[in-house]
Amino acid sequence: MATVALLDGVVDELTAICGPDHVFTGRSAVFNRARVPAPFPVHRWEEHIPSAVVLPTSAEQVSEVVKLANRHGIPVVPRAGATGLTDGAVPLRHGIVVDIKLMNQILELDHENRTVTVGPGINMLKLNEELRKHGYIYPDDPASYPCSLVGGRIGTSGWSLIGARYGHTRDLVISFEMVLPTGEIIRVGDGGGPTVRKSSSGYQLKHLFMGHQGTLGIVTEATLELVKRPEAEFSMFFSYGSYMDAWRATGELARSGVATLAGVVLFDEEKIRYLRRDDEAYIPQPESVKAVIACAAYGNADEVRVGAKRLLRIGKASGGAYLGDEISQGDWASRHDRYATPQHGRTRDGQVALMSWHCEDAAIPYPQLPAVREKWHAIADSLRERFDMFDDWGIFAYTNGAFKPWGDYLTEIDIGIWEMKWDDESWAAWVDAKRELARVSIEHGGSISACHGACRAGEVDLVPTELGGGFEVMKTIKRALDPNNIMNPSKYLLGQAYEEE
Amino acid sequence: MAETTASDQRTNGAQTAGTQETNGAVQALIEEWRDVAYNCFSSGHKFCREVCPVMQVTRDERHTPTAFHANVVAMEKGHLSIEDVAEDYVHCTMCGACELRCPNSLFTGDFYRFRQRTIDVVKAMRALAVQSGVHQKNWKRWAELTNRWGNEPVLGWTKETSANKVRAWAVGLNIPTGGETILFADCEAAFYRPSVPRSVAQLLTAAGVKFGLMNQQWCCGGPMWETGYVDIAHAMAEHNMLDWRKTNTKRIVCLDPHDYITIVENYPALDPNFDEFEIVLAVDLIAEKIREGKLKLTTPVRRTVTYHDPCRLNKRMGVWKAPREILRAIPGLTFVDVDHVTQWSYCSGAGSNLGVEKPELTAEISRRRMAKAGELDGVDTLVSACPWSERPLTEQGEAQGIEVFDIFELVAEAAGFEV
Repeated sequence: MATVALLDGVVDELTAICGPDHVFTGRSAVFNRARVPAPFPVHRWEEHIPSAVVLPTSAEQVSEVVKLANRHGIPVVPRAGATGLTDGAVPLRHGIVVDIKLMNQILELDHENRTVTVGPGINMLKLNEELRKHGYIYPDDPASYPCSLVGGRIGTSGWSLIGARYGHTRDLVISFEMVLPTGEIIRVGDGGGPTVRKSSSGYQLKHLFMGHQGTLGIVTEATLELVKRPEAEFSMFFSYGSYMDAWRATGELARSGVATLAGVVLFDEEKIRYLRRDDEAYIPQPESVKAVIACAAYGNADEVRVGAKRLLRIGKASGGAYLGDEISQGDWASRHDRYATPQHGRTRDGQVALMSWHCEDAAIPYPQLPAVREKWHAIADSLRERFDMFDDWGIFAYTNGAFKPWGDYLTEIDIGIWEMKWDDESWAAWVDAKRELARVSIEHGGSISACHGACRAGEVDLVPTELGGGFEVMKTIKRALDPNNIMNPSKYLLGQAYEEE
Repeated sequence: MAETTASDQRTNGAQTAGTQETNGAVQALIEEWRDVAYNCFSSGHKFCREVCPVMQVTRDERHTPTAFHANVVAMEKGHLSIEDVAEDYVHCTMCGACELRCPNSLFTGDFYRFRQRTIDVVKAMRALAVQSGVHQKNWKRWAELTNRWGNEPVLGWTKETSANKVRAWAVGLNIPTGGETILFADCEAAFYRPSVPRSVAQLLTAAGVKFGLMNQQWCCGGPMWETGYVDIAHAMAEHNMLDWRKTNTKRIVCLDPHDYITIVENYPALDPNFDEFEIVLAVDLIAEKIREGKLKLTTPVRRTVTYHDPCRLNKRMGVWKAPREILRAIPGLTFVDVDHVTQWSYCSGAGSNLGVEKPELTAEISRRRMAKAGELDGVDTLVSACPWSERPLTEQGEAQGIEVFDIFELVAEAAGFEV
C-alpha cells in the first residue's frame, strides 16, 4: 500500500530541477493524481499512484525531468486537466507524474497572424475570458470546456461541439513545442514557423503528436488559432416520433451545406427515456417524442440568420417538431455535461443509485449508426442484467468531421456505473463489454474512439485490429523516439514495441 | 527539500493506531459524507476548478473540491488518514464558487433536492483534524486567543482584543446598550477598521433606525467553525444569544457578511427558539432606507469605482443587487460594474482565515483581484462590502494605485458624515 519508492536521491534531483515547492511525494499528492473520470478500478487504487509528482514551470524543467527519468529508467506520465474520458493520465507503472498545470500563461497574442501562444496548462474558458476583450474566441469546445486544459486536448486529439463550423483540436492548434521522450525540445507544426497553417515540407509531424496519450512526450507550449468572436448563435431542437426518422433528418441537416452549421446532435430513444427520468425539459414532453435532434449555427449575424432559416426548414420538412426557444436556447447553452450527473443512476428496480457517467465514444460512418446503436444497447443490457451496478443512459451521435460534417459521427453510449460496487468480477465484465463495444465499431467501418483515445482496458486490445499495419508503424516510432520506454509505458499496448527486440 | 508528510515515514499504510474516540470520529465523518463525496468522485466533471480562487493560484490538485471529496472515499478505503490530508484542507476560502459551478447542484439539484456541500465537507474535515489532534499552528493560536479574549486577535498576537474593548469604535456616538435592534460589528471591523461600524451607525441613526450595541459582544464564532474549533464556536454563539436575550433584543443587524452567514447557518441548530431573532444585513437595510428616501445622499463622491462582490454575499447568499443599488444612488460616483457571475471566480483570499495560515496565498489571490480592477477603464477605487476582504485588498491596491473602501464608508461620505 505504501507508495513505490524511488531510487535514493531521485527526489533530491527532482527538487533541484523544479524547486522545493513543486515536488511532492506525500500520500494525498499521489492518491489525488492517480485517476481521471474514465472508469477507474477504485478497489485497485494503489496500483495507479505515482511515486512522485512534479509541477514544472518551463520546458527546460520538463526536459531535465525527462532526461533524469531516462538516466534512472523511471516512467513519466504527463498530466494536464485530468478530465480525460480515456485514461491517458492514469499511471500504469507508477513513476513520476509531470503535472503541467502551472504552465498556464498566455505568452503572446499576435493580432497580425491571428494566433495566441499559450502554456499547455491553460483552460479554454479562462483563455476565452481574456480573448473576449479583443473580440476573439478560441473555439475548442468539448463537454469539459470549463475544466480541461490545452495540453490534454493535444494529448487526446480532442473533439469540439462546434467543430463542424470551427474545426477540432487538431485544426485549431497550429503548432506546439514538445519535449521528446529523450528530453530534446522540438517545435512541431505543419512546417515552417509557429504560425504557418499549411505546409508541405517534410512529414506532417503535428498529427503524429496529436492524441499520443502521453506516450511520445510532453507539450510545453502551443500556438492556437484565433477566430473572430461569433456575432450570433442560433440553436434549435426538433423532436421526432422514431429514432429512424431522426436519423434520416440528422443526415439531411448535416449535408445541408449551410456554412454556419456548427454541429448536429442526435439523441436516441433510450437517451430520451433516460432524460424523462428527471430532466425538467423532457418530463413534460408528450410520449410521442421519441428522439431529438439539436443543431446550431454560429457566425456573423446576417449569415446565421439565413442559415438558420434553411436549417429550420429542413428540420420541419423532415418531420421534426421545433421544441421551442426555451429548450433550444437553454439546453444548448448548458450542453456542457447537462446530461450526466450521478443521481441519474437507477438500479434495476428503479432506485436512485449514485453512478459515474461513462461515455464510450467511437467514430461511426453515418449509414452504420442504426446498426451500431442496436448492438451497443444489447451489450449494455447484458451488463445490466448480470450486475445491478450498470445503467444504460442512451446514445448521442454528433457530427464528427471538421467543416464537412456529413461523413462519420462521434457516437457515444453513456453507461452509468456504480463504481463503489467494483470487484474483480464486475471489472472484468466491464472490460469485456468495453472490448465488445469497440469490436462493433470496427466491424461497422468505424474507429474505437473519435476523441477520447482508445487506450483503456478492453478496447485497447483491438487497436492493432483497427490500425492493422499502422500499429506496427506506431511501435516502430515509439521505439525510435523513446528508446528506454519511459513515456507513459504500457499505455496503448506499446510495451509490445520493446518485447520484440 | 520536497514535501514529505509524517505519513511518508509510516510503514504500515494509512491506518494509524489512533484513539478509539478518533477512530469513531473518522467513521462518523465517513458515514455522514460518503454519499456527498461519492457524488463528486463519480461525477468527475471538475467544473469547480477554474473558478476556485486557491486553485487558480496553486494549480495543485490536492487543493481542489475533487480532492476534498475523493479523500473521503480514499479514507473509507483505508488509503488515506486525516493526518495525510489535514493540511490540504487549509487551502479553501469557503467562497462557495465550486458549489455554484457543480453540475450536480446546477442541473439536478432541484429535482433531487441535492446540493454539493463542499464547504461543509471542508468544515467537517477541519473539525475532524482538530478532534484528532492535528492542528495548524497559527489557527490553533488564533482559536486559543479568540477563546481567551472573546474576539479574534485581529490586531496581532499580542494586542488584546477583549470583549470590554469591542465597543471602543463607538466612542462619541452615544449608542445605547441593547434594545429591540442591535448592531453587530464583527471583530475585524470593530478593532481594525472602526470606520466601517462608525459609518453604519451614523447612517442608521440618520435613517431613523433605533438601535443599540450588545452588552458584551463576542466573536460570532464563524472562524472557529470554519477552522474546526467547534467547541469554541458553540461557546461564542451561546454567549451572544444569551446577551441578546438579556436586553430583549429581537433584531440583529450585521454589517459583515461573515457574521450574517455564521448566525443564520449555525446558530439555529444550537437553540430551538432561535426563530425569535431576526437577522438583517446592513447592506439590505441601508439600500431600503435610501430607496424609501429616509437616507439622503447629497454630497458628491468624485470617484470612479468598481465593486467587489464579497463571496459570502454573492456566491453563498445570492446578495448582489443591493450593493449595486446603493452605489448607483451615490451622487458624483462613476460606477464601472463587473457582473456578479463573472465575479464567481474572484475572491480576496481572506475567507475562512486562509490568511492566518497562508498569508502569501491570500496576498496573491488579492493581488489578482486588484489586477482585474486595474484593467477597468479609469477605476481609482474598489468598493467592497466585507471588512475581511478590505485588509488584503487594500494592501494589494497600493501597488495598483487603487484605493479600497467599504461601501458604508462611501455612503457615509455621500450622506455628509465624517468617517
